[in-house]
Amino acid sequence: MEKTNTSRAIRKVAVLGAGVMGAGIALHFAGIGCEVLLLDMVPNDLKEEEKSNPKSRNRIVTDLFNFALKSKPSPLYTKAVAQRVQLGNFDDDMSKIKDVDWIVEVVVERLDIKKLIYEKVEKYRKPGTLITSNTSGIPINLLAEGRSEDFKANFAGTHFFNPPRYLKLLEIIPIVETKPEIVQFLMSYGDKILGKETVLCKDTPAFIANRVGVYSMAKIFQLTTELGLKIEEVDKLTGPVIGRPKTGTFKLSDLVGNDTGTKVMMGIKDSCPNDEQAGAFVTPSYVDFLLENKFFGNKTKKGYYEKTKDANGKTVVNALRLDTLTYEPSGKVEFASLKEAGQKEALADKIKTFIKSDDKGAQLVKRSLAGLFAYVSNRVPEISDNLYSVDDALRAGFAWEIGPFEYWDIVGIQKGIELAEAEGLVVSSWVKDLAASSDKPSFYRTENGAKKYYNQATQSYTVIPGTESFILLDTIRDKKPVFKNSGGILHDIGDGVLNLEFTSKMNSLGGDVLDAINKSIDIAEKGYNGLVIGNEAPNFSVGANLAMIFMMAMEQEYDELDFAIRAFQNTTMRARYSSIPVIAAPHGMTLGGGCELTMHADVAVASAETYIGLVEVGVGLVPGGGGIKELALRLSDSFFEGDVQIPKLQDAFLNIAMAKVATSAQEAFDMGFFRKGTDRIVMNSKRLIAEAKAEALRMTEAGYVQPAKRNNITVLGRTGLGSLTVGVESFKMGGYISEHDAKIAQKIAFAICGGDLSQPTVVNEQYLLDLEREAFLSLCGEKKTLERIQAMLTTGKPLRN
Amino acid sequence: MQEAYIVAGYRSAVGKSKRGGFRFTRPDDLGAEVIKHLVNTVPNFDPALVDDLICGNAIPEAEQGMQIGRMLVLRAGLPLNVAGVTVNRYCASGVETIAMATSKIRSGMGECIIAGGVESMSLLPMTGWRTALNYEIAKSTADYYSSMGLTAEAVAKQFNISRQAQDEFAFKSHQKAIAAIEAGRFKDQIVPITVEEVYLDANNKRKTRSYVVDTDEGPRRDTTVEGLSKLKAVFAAGGSVTAGNSSQTSDGAAFVLVMSERMVKELNLTPIAKLVTSAVVGVEPRIMGIGPVAAIPQALKQAGMTLNDIDMIELNEAFASQSLAVIQELGLNPEIINPNGGAISLGHPLGCSGAKLTVQLINELKRQGKKRGMVSACIGGGQGIASIIEVL
Repeated sequence: MEKTNTSRAIRKVAVLGAGVMGAGIALHFAGIGCEVLLLDMVPNDLKEEEKSNPKSRNRIVTDLFNFALKSKPSPLYTKAVAQRVQLGNFDDDMSKIKDVDWIVEVVVERLDIKKLIYEKVEKYRKPGTLITSNTSGIPINLLAEGRSEDFKANFAGTHFFNPPRYLKLLEIIPIVETKPEIVQFLMSYGDKILGKETVLCKDTPAFIANRVGVYSMAKIFQLTTELGLKIEEVDKLTGPVIGRPKTGTFKLSDLVGNDTGTKVMMGIKDSCPNDEQAGAFVTPSYVDFLLENKFFGNKTKKGYYEKTKDANGKTVVNALRLDTLTYEPSGKVEFASLKEAGQKEALADKIKTFIKSDDKGAQLVKRSLAGLFAYVSNRVPEISDNLYSVDDALRAGFAWEIGPFEYWDIVGIQKGIELAEAEGLVVSSWVKDLAASSDKPSFYRTENGAKKYYNQATQSYTVIPGTESFILLDTIRDKKPVFKNSGGILHDIGDGVLNLEFTSKMNSLGGDVLDAINKSIDIAEKGYNGLVIGNEAPNFSVGANLAMIFMMAMEQEYDELDFAIRAFQNTTMRARYSSIPVIAAPHGMTLGGGCELTMHADVAVASAETYIGLVEVGVGLVPGGGGIKELALRLSDSFFEGDVQIPKLQDAFLNIAMAKVATSAQEAFDMGFFRKGTDRIVMNSKRLIAEAKAEALRMTEAGYVQPAKRNNITVLGRTGLGSLTVGVESFKMGGYISEHDAKIAQKIAFAICGGDLSQPTVVNEQYLLDLEREAFLSLCGEKKTLERIQAMLTTGKPLRN
Repeated sequence: MQEAYIVAGYRSAVGKSKRGGFRFTRPDDLGAEVIKHLVNTVPNFDPALVDDLICGNAIPEAEQGMQIGRMLVLRAGLPLNVAGVTVNRYCASGVETIAMATSKIRSGMGECIIAGGVESMSLLPMTGWRTALNYEIAKSTADYYSSMGLTAEAVAKQFNISRQAQDEFAFKSHQKAIAAIEAGRFKDQIVPITVEEVYLDANNKRKTRSYVVDTDEGPRRDTTVEGLSKLKAVFAAGGSVTAGNSSQTSDGAAFVLVMSERMVKELNLTPIAKLVTSAVVGVEPRIMGIGPVAAIPQALKQAGMTLNDIDMIELNEAFASQSLAVIQELGLNPEIINPNGGAISLGHPLGCSGAKLTVQLINELKRQGKKRGMVSACIGGGQGIASIIEVL
């Protein structure tokens, strides 16, 4: 389905039902800027005197909404979002839906109740208004029964995943009567405006993600018993080592809720008795044990796992022993295959390691994949005409790095068939035909930078619709890069725009990455329109390469450190001062040096989910790559005649001194990491690089002029230093920060105020950069700073000393 | 030397800052209402006789700027010959002004002075809009600038004041204040003030309404020691000072009319009280809350009195910790302190508080048929004040 149509304007949305999903969906719409009307029931236990009191009548919706506001991770981009949601109830406020552009129904999962709500909706809904249901289990066509023609024509399922702000998947399920343009609109709006991976589904039980994802879980449950594995072993084997979330299988069940998970599983079992692997959907006896004892998982603090404290007060994680149904300390997981796979870099190599191995660990991975392959082969075209939709759904809905067919491509189609058949499972004939059709059959292939999928209906390779407007770096890997070193790859992404992708571990910034940035700008300046600095890793960059700093500091090689910090500063300044537009495309964690680089680009085109901040304090340092200078510069730019200045100075200072990280791109604007009117947000991070490229081209088109160096930055000197110093001392006196925290904070204060100048003074950027560098270097000689760096390098957690 | 007498004294009700009845009332408007009432209640009094108006104020900027003492004179419609001045001794400002008026008159530098204070904590942050501190002090002795909460923590620590004791003290403050309000004990001293509000209604239409504020808004009937004990410490990690056992931020105004013996006789007036003496003493800024420990003995010495001569004390409850430390260190009789509650329950409109406590003290001494009382307060920056008042 083409993802291009956003012709309808959605200004106001009504969300019916304010439970966890309803409130979450309402807040996501509010987050993107829509006005939202959120309704729920009038309490049925109102006292006589409450019956005419609007507050009492809205009690349920108010309580549910307030509960949602407090949920973690936060459903709000910024606090202001909540104000866009108007609360009401089904009895008094249903008439207001006449003014909305989209009605999303999220009431309890009961057909009779949903139908009652739709009857009310029909009374007030203006013809042509979009109406969708967020059901996860009720067939969409049953919901539409008895409704008007106009209702049906504008009706579909829109299945969000919890929590709606964070989980990427949005399943779109039309019925026969749904107008094609409605489907197209939902696919496109969901993608571009709501920032979701929209997947077109058929109206089949549990749609795509839950059907396949829950099958996979059930299969792993079954194999766990069969192979006699421990749950912590299974979680290790089905976690990141095979490209799935850290929760693996059993921890995921605890997270979702073992009661909820079982309900979904039974739902599929009941509605899909004819699945060739229907037998996999059984709840093992240990599930009964958990349910009987109400060990539902995280929400009851006990499930497959429980946390207890030992005699010394240390937290111990106990795991359920499936055979004895007792809890024992979770043990170390050891399999030769797991160890070998863990040493491999690429996911494909990890998977292949398991395939060629034969210990119990490898058997679990192999046999669960074999089951999965057979299962999905038979689900196309039942649940989707396109195999890529199955992969999209599992990636976006279950946070798998790759989907079932992508796993299969890694294993090899023929090998996958053999594995499945060895298990006595049936693989659908279209896959067997594909396997027989060529020497190197695959479900996907990349041609001329376009990712194509095998279309089983036409038996040919077709471009995945909608992806033409994406730039996915993965699809251009076969092209020769413009430049490459150990820190980054420079791709030509067309129209004279280059993209620099970091390739270091967690995209940390070391000498090689800085070289790559400088080299990329040099190349771009010689005949390109612009440079995008962007990547598709989970995080844009976690900051400077600490190991390198630690080594130099330990060796007391201060000249080399000075040189390295200068190089860092020169690089960020080069991003600002070049003859071509440099666009940063931050997303996920954009910390420390990653934040500094982003702030020095001409424009930041940021994913809505960008967590940006200057966190150097956590490792006993201060920003050294221009972070303090840039906040001082932006602060100066915000001053106006008569401005009292000091409160703004305090905010900027606290950003750094408290290592504040924005919880969303929107919040980053409020905090000053992004600039209003210059930087911007892209909802769907998959479109980030394409949008950043478009921005570069727009700037070139508009006539890009290299900015003049700044020599007009007002810093406050002693006027600001006095207040910041007292603030730091007060925090110390109050016991909120340590001596060393205070020392670092003083250095930040000194640098951001431009030192102890007698009066507010106009300075240039280099002056501030020098102050910042001096502060950084002086801390490198501090024992406590080195302890902090070491702790971060060895434990991954900040040390407070 | 001729004696100076307090002829009359009134206060506004004390509003909760930022959400109370005076949340948008300008302090010059609020103070003017009290002053108008004050001069109007003195029989046959010609306001042109007033020499000066001395206004206490702890944050004399923004709405309280433009030398609010003079602005109050003009805003209250007093004759143009009446002068006005603003005095800042932080939380003691309101009683300091009464001492200044008294000593001016006693020394012959005036016959009739309005003294008191006003503060809007709704409209101004406690350290003013632009807090620009001295870097040299910050580097060497940052505790000179200690936040009041931190000083309260330091006092609690140094003088071993437990959290439990602080919470119980706060609870009693509320109980006493509620009892006083219910008995109507503040009625005669409070000037009911009509607040005019221009606002937008639910349909975004500009509307006008007015309401009267005549009752202190701070005291809470439902406060319990248990509830107070659950509040988090707000000024220090692991500390004991909470929002519940600290004074409330408030809006209010209070003024008295001080007059020479000669004028009292001329106008045939009956004075209600006189300020016997007043003393201020500096202490370590870090533990400013113990200021009264130094100031009270000094004032007694100046007056040639002992604690036995004092029937009642209005001890400003900046914090329960410092109030308790003062009581403990001086061995004060808790029974005669703050009979009608204090700043923890009734609120603490900084620059107004001293005058407000003086008005309360005079009324309560009279009601109980007692003679001598004292107003005492700790002062930010490390000072204490104690003023001895005698009713006539």
